[in-house]
Amino acid sequence: MDIFIRAVRALSLASGVVAAGLIALAVVVVCQMVFIRYVLNETTIWQTDFVTFSLVAATFIGGPYVLMTKGHVNVDVLPIYAGPRARWWLALAAILISLAFALVMTILTAQFWHEAWENNWRSESMWRARMWIPYASMPVGLGLLALQYIADLIELVTGREPPFGITSQTPMPAVKEAGI
Amino acid sequence: MSPTTQGILVLLATIAIFLTGAPVAFGLGFVGIAFLVLFQGPDSLRVAAETLYSGLHDFTLVSIPMFIMMGAAIGSSPAGRDLYIALDRWLYRVPGGLVVSNLGACALFSALTGSSPATCAAIGKMGIPEMRNRGYPDEVATGSICAGGTLGILIPPSITFILYGIATETSIGRLFLAGVFPGLLLTGLFMLWTILYLWRQGFRAYAADFRYSWKEKFLSIPKVAPFIIIVVGIMYVLYGGIATPSEAAGVGAAMCVLLAALIYRMWKPRAWWEILRSTTRESVMILMIIATAVLFSYMLTSLYITQTLAQAIADAQVNPWLLMGMINVFLLVCGCFIPPAGIILMTAPILLPIITAAGFDPVWFGVIVTINLEIGLITPPVGLNLFVVNAIAPDVPTKTVLWGSVPYVICMILAIVILSIFPEIATWLPDYLMGPAVGPGK
Repeated sequence: MDIFIRAVRALSLASGVVAAGLIALAVVVVCQMVFIRYVLNETTIWQTDFVTFSLVAATFIGGPYVLMTKGHVNVDVLPIYAGPRARWWLALAAILISLAFALVMTILTAQFWHEAWENNWRSESMWRARMWIPYASMPVGLGLLALQYIADLIELVTGREPPFGITSQTPMPAVKEAGI
Repeated sequence: MSPTTQGILVLLATIAIFLTGAPVAFGLGFVGIAFLVLFQGPDSLRVAAETLYSGLHDFTLVSIPMFIMMGAAIGSSPAGRDLYIALDRWLYRVPGGLVVSNLGACALFSALTGSSPATCAAIGKMGIPEMRNRGYPDEVATGSICAGGTLGILIPPSITFILYGIATETSIGRLFLAGVFPGLLLTGLFMLWTILYLWRQGFRAYAADFRYSWKEKFLSIPKVAPFIIIVVGIMYVLYGGIATPSEAAGVGAAMCVLLAALIYRMWKPRAWWEILRSTTRESVMILMIIATAVLFSYMLTSLYITQTLAQAIADAQVNPWLLMGMINVFLLVCGCFIPPAGIILMTAPILLPIITAAGFDPVWFGVIVTINLEIGLITPPVGLNLFVVNAIAPDVPTKTVLWGSVPYVICMILAIVILSIFPEIATWLPDYLMGPAVGPGK
């Protein structure tokens, strides 16, 4: 079981690195685009599409990493003020709801990707990009998200990890966020 | 089942799911697909994948991670400290000068980073101990930082405005401009209250013979000036119609990272990775909510819930100002529980038709929504800023921080009232610089 959890965590970390890379690449391409457009006064063809696709991909692929590092915002009133038993049940419900969403969407987006692949859909812009490439980020990201949720579920049920990562000593999530 | 009953069921289910502590993004997505299946059968999910994708396929959204990166670069550098020092040296003669310079530093820093907790942390870490050392009352020291941090989502460039602009198809440039004077108004109200409060207590911060030399004053400028120039530059580029928000934000982000590296010698890969890591975490979180919120509102419109609600309110012929009051209370309550990004994306598409039907300006309403959300940031139970300030000054009781924030909350409510009486404070600048708005939502 530990090997599974470690493997999923490694995958989630890798997904975070890929997402960060895509965002960094997007910044560089935006700067290149601005340079071509406003300094050289030439038209740009692929940049707008490329940057948009990169950020869509970064969002879906980065999802599991953000989940692993507890970065998806939630309404944490009840989890913070509930007792340990109630908190455990809340965590279970929260994981199952999100896991259900991730699983259903993985299947739906995989079908959608397959359709784009079969019919060779192209973007409507001048670049005529193959749409299956950006679409692929959805099933991949959401699938990894489901895996990370399964790992979280195992950790919760086997008591490896406290619900919502809250122990009596844990500082508030917002405080961690602000890096104090 | 009538759309009204379905609407109530959606509302109850959404609240119940949020309360479990499930992430806002996945909770919204779950409600979206669950109700589509429940009321329209599994076939209705055929468009779910495309809807999820279409929510993110928008070049305007590119500005969000870029502005976040700009904030992350400035936030991870000691720029907050330098900004604070610079303002203190220039403003120390003003009564209650330290609080005033703290609030000013908060306003500037939050404009640069667009993040409320980051502003509280950066300025608060310097400002709170310093104010307490110089004998300022605890409630002023902590309350002013809590309040100052909230200014970030109102003063441009603001991610909250970008989200509102996307959700309601309102011009982001116009929204940014509309935030300028209300932001200054709020900063002014905060300062005014603080000065009055301290003056009534007979408080003096510095001995009368204390002076900073001109050399000290001018030496504090070079480190902070470049960042301010970048923000002013972005605004100029946006309103000169020279570039789109995404292009301006992209270049701004690259420049802020480079400046942080140059001025603060942040050359180590570790420092760059930290900037990139926090950018990724925050951007992915917000963009994921955008994607699933589009799925959620697709469900609402395909079940005719949005339309029925807007029609019912239009038919009820409620007095527009009573309606506005009710919407404000609703937003305030939401703001106490749900983070700003979630509220804007969920409620703006529903509220906008109601607002425009009642004859209100969508740009002005964007400002009102944002001030409401600011209040949510400093009121319990999920006021992020309160937690941050609590962590900086753990020995100040939470009760003191809370009571210290109350007058600033009243200032914000006052600002909403002032803006309701004089909507021009928000709309004059965009109308003057960009010409009068044409048509609803433009």
